[in-house]
Amino acid sequence: MCNACGNPAAPGHWTEAGAATPGDRLRARFHRAKVLDDILRPYGLMAHDGGVVPGIQLGTMAGASSIVHNLSEVWAEAERLHGAPIDPLDPRYLDDL
Amino acid sequence: MTSDTRLRLTLLGGYLGSGKTTWLRHQLHVGAFGPRVHVVVNEAAETPVDDALLAGAEGMTLLAGGCCCCAGRAELIAALRRLCDARSRISAEEARLERIVLETSGLADPGAIVAAIQDDPVLVNHIVVEETVVAVDALHALAQLATEPLGRRQVGAADRMVLTKTDACAPDALATLRATLAGLNGHATLSAAVLGVEAVLAPLPAGARPAVLPELAGEDARGPIAPTQLALPDDLDWSAFTLWLSALLHARGDDLVRVKGVLRTPAGRLLLQTVRKVVQSPEILPEQGESRSDNVIVFIGRGYRPEDLGRSMRRFLSPTRTT
Repeated sequence: MCNACGNPAAPGHWTEAGAATPGDRLRARFHRAKVLDDILRPYGLMAHDGGVVPGIQLGTMAGASSIVHNLSEVWAEAERLHGAPIDPLDPRYLDDL
Repeated sequence: MTSDTRLRLTLLGGYLGSGKTTWLRHQLHVGAFGPRVHVVVNEAAETPVDDALLAGAEGMTLLAGGCCCCAGRAELIAALRRLCDARSRISAEEARLERIVLETSGLADPGAIVAAIQDDPVLVNHIVVEETVVAVDALHALAQLATEPLGRRQVGAADRMVLTKTDACAPDALATLRATLAGLNGHATLSAAVLGVEAVLAPLPAGARPAVLPELAGEDARGPIAPTQLALPDDLDWSAFTLWLSALLHARGDDLVRVKGVLRTPAGRLLLQTVRKVVQSPEILPEQGESRSDNVIVFIGRGYRPEDLGRSMRRFLSPTRTT
């Protein structure tokens, strides 16, 4: 259990594999948040990771926001905020090339 | 990764009467699972278990409260937690339990058990699901695959398939079965055993054709489960790739029976595998020079057009930057 945030400790989420040093991990978090933000913008959502607070911050254009811990939770929360699942195989998403 | 001291778990599945216990008994007898192994046996119906099974194992737990992928899940989790608890009381320097072999009932879906272990906040810190072995009855598997969705799910979840009773099976029927299994689950290794003793498998005859499996009423209109290979670019952006795969698993996890592949990442060669929505902790593999199977991911699933996987991934890897 982390004293500051109350999040139970768990082995690193699988998406965080591959970054060995603290610097690498922070760089990976910034980069991931940028890519995620680019992906979510067309759905009217925003993603931000300042590197200070644990987790990724998700928000809508209307101002609703929440913090999630890992990428599995990102998609569940994005689905809730958006009102429909964000499906990478959605024909509308693919045909918009 | 190298100092991972968690318990290893081998999952042994297979249809009713496919020869799981026979195979396991022999493996324990020859010490294939090492000296410090605990066997957990789940029987859908309560039956006495042969003492011979106990001989090769350090301990044994019998779960008779129903199939541990559904009705008996709580009992399974409790039993595994007790094992982890007892092990944690012993210092890592001393001899202590190293492996659990879980023999499921013939009605169990291995994927559901992996999911249950990964969902448990205690077990996920103590247990690594290392391998799923599925016993396949050479005599009856084709009939089971033709009629039982469960049989197909078990085959789909396997890392290693062991063909049993091959001595009693006609060569051409065996060839058909092997071709069918390769079509259902191309990444699992296949071996043969007669009464648990490893048997030699002749090379697959060139003319072997897979049996045509009918669509099942229990399945739905999403089509048959089929494998798709996806080659990844050499300069893969790991962050963008994990975003894509996690989004895909969230939206389509029920359709994706299995995803497996070896990726080249900055940290080394990474073995990535999932069962349905659950991703197992990626393992760093030793370098083996240039391997052809690197940067290829196999998707086993249905409900999508195979070419869409590649298009969708490329879209995620280079989203249109709107700045």
